[in-house]
Amino acid sequence: MTLVQGAREFVAPGVDLVALAPELILVAVISGVLLIDLMLPQDKKGLMMPVSALGLLAALGATLFLVGDVRITLSGMFVVDSFAVLFKVIFLLAALLTLALSHDYLKDDEIHHGEYYFLLLCSLLGMMTIASSRDLVAIFVSLELISLPSFVLVGLRKRDLKSNEAALKFFLFGVLSTAIMLFGMSLVYGVTGQTSLVGIASSLTQFPPLREVAILSILFILVGFGFKISAFPFQWWVPDTYEGAPVPIAAFLSVASKTAGFVGLLQILFIGFLGLADIWRPFLAAVAVLTMTFGNLVAIQQKHIIRLLAYSSIGQAGYILIPLAVVGVGTPELNAIAFQASIVYLLIYAFMETGAFACAIAYGRRGGGYFVSDYAGLSARSPGLAIAMTMFLFSLAGIPPLAGWAAKFFVFRALIDGGAYWLAAIMAINTVIALFYYAAVPRQMVFAAPTETRRIEIPWMLSSAIALSAIVVVLIGILPDIFGALARAAAGG
Amino acid sequence: MHQYVFVVIGVLMAIAAVRLVTTKNVVHGALYLLMVLAGAAAIFILLLAEFVGWVQVLLYIGAVVVLLLFGLMLTRAPIGRTALDNQSRALAALVAGAIFAMTSMVLVRAFDGQMIDFSQTLTVRTLGGVLFTKYVLPFEVVSVLLLAALVGAVVLAKRDE
Repeated sequence: MTLVQGAREFVAPGVDLVALAPELILVAVISGVLLIDLMLPQDKKGLMMPVSALGLLAALGATLFLVGDVRITLSGMFVVDSFAVLFKVIFLLAALLTLALSHDYLKDDEIHHGEYYFLLLCSLLGMMTIASSRDLVAIFVSLELISLPSFVLVGLRKRDLKSNEAALKFFLFGVLSTAIMLFGMSLVYGVTGQTSLVGIASSLTQFPPLREVAILSILFILVGFGFKISAFPFQWWVPDTYEGAPVPIAAFLSVASKTAGFVGLLQILFIGFLGLADIWRPFLAAVAVLTMTFGNLVAIQQKHIIRLLAYSSIGQAGYILIPLAVVGVGTPELNAIAFQASIVYLLIYAFMETGAFACAIAYGRRGGGYFVSDYAGLSARSPGLAIAMTMFLFSLAGIPPLAGWAAKFFVFRALIDGGAYWLAAIMAINTVIALFYYAAVPRQMVFAAPTETRRIEIPWMLSSAIALSAIVVVLIGILPDIFGALARAAAGG
Repeated sequence: MHQYVFVVIGVLMAIAAVRLVTTKNVVHGALYLLMVLAGAAAIFILLLAEFVGWVQVLLYIGAVVVLLLFGLMLTRAPIGRTALDNQSRALAALVAGAIFAMTSMVLVRAFDGQMIDFSQTLTVRTLGGVLFTKYVLPFEVVSVLLLAALVGAVVLAKRDE
């Protein structure tokens, strides 16, 4: 009797299936990958890559269909706007590039293909939902869906002790920072009684909380995101994890996973906590400065290319974070500029970092090695690969006319507009320091004598991933306003 | 009445939690963990959130701790008195103590004197309704998360031929 009554009271929520289409397609692909893997014989497992790639293309199509739309569904928890669509496209592209990097990498390793792609897609689904989540619970659950499959992916090279260590370190840091973040979120709920970001924002302006409570909850939430975006002092796992993980997964973590962390953080800060900007601004400034300085200083001493890229990606996180240090309560125009600067940097970073990882994989797997000294004389052996690698590294360093320069320009402009000259100066010093280690690899490639003369054959999928990233890096370097316009649209949404 | 029961449970939980990190025996540690989790379940029930309380009992005591004990027995993990200590325990104690002092000070200042309104008790029905309407997105995301955890656990634990 009561059950029937309950059923009658239950009102199904209105669901906008078009808004959810990319995620629904992805869920279908995830289930499909799991089932197809069961039926494929052992020697046909290579087919899992094209299956996943086709699914991603379908999801990409569904996402592109939503360009320009604003849709709100699932009681306001799921929002599709320019911001969400832009980052969903970036996540899907990053995942496609990761698939291209993985195909050759998995061939001669004893990793299970089906599970590898399944976990990769699960992590991607978390990124897709975090871009649309406008609720603390949804953001938290999405973050977990991003992290948990990554823990396993990092440890998939089971016979390699380094991979085991990498996964364990990643896992322990991950769960601890997640627990602290959850405590911070519960504090926010305790003060405001709301989980939706909009509700939190209006409750915070109506009933301003005690300063101490605001500081504590923001600090705790920053811990969780600091881990995801590898900001100081939560970056200790990064070099060991990237080095021990399958290299395409390291690329995935440093690009897609980090971007997802920033997406969640930007939403919480700009929608939920904008009214408390005066409280979180100094913390973010300090974290950004420490992150870039630590990453760049330690990167100088690195001999291993993946560790070098790991520390460089820590430094880059500082650059992405620092525009937020000029955000204020009553300065919407300045806030928009800072928001755009972070987004443009994220977009450009995704391509230059993926490109650098793709070159490192191409060289490492095909007879080279993963140490900087292994790159000796590469310009004579494989001029194309050497030019591409140099381009990505110089772009990361911020040398014009490559895209990384435009990214830094947007950030500097935000800092100057906000009057944060000190921060701009610190960032300029950091850029100079970074040039040392970014230039170390090209120096090896050009000036050191090669130990081998054999040409390096790169499979077409890897070379097309490198080519795509290179085209974006050059094109955006010349026409940075393409990404600038995308970021403006996202900031308007 | 509520306050006294809460104090008793809280003191028991605190003692068990301290013993959990200081004990030298893993199995004892698991049992202290059980006490802490049971205390948490009791507090939920004290707050009239019976459903969450019993879920806590079923999942954490019934599944997690039991799984932990099975894991200890079935693997060749050292069960006896082994060095679980870490060199940096003093530093860890300092950090934990500082965080505890800071957090409790802030919590007391923020919520002191506020009373919980027990007139609207949370029934399982409203909980289920909210879960499948307002919070359906996290609910569905969690289902994929659990599937990923299951597959991940199998792939890591499976012995390769």
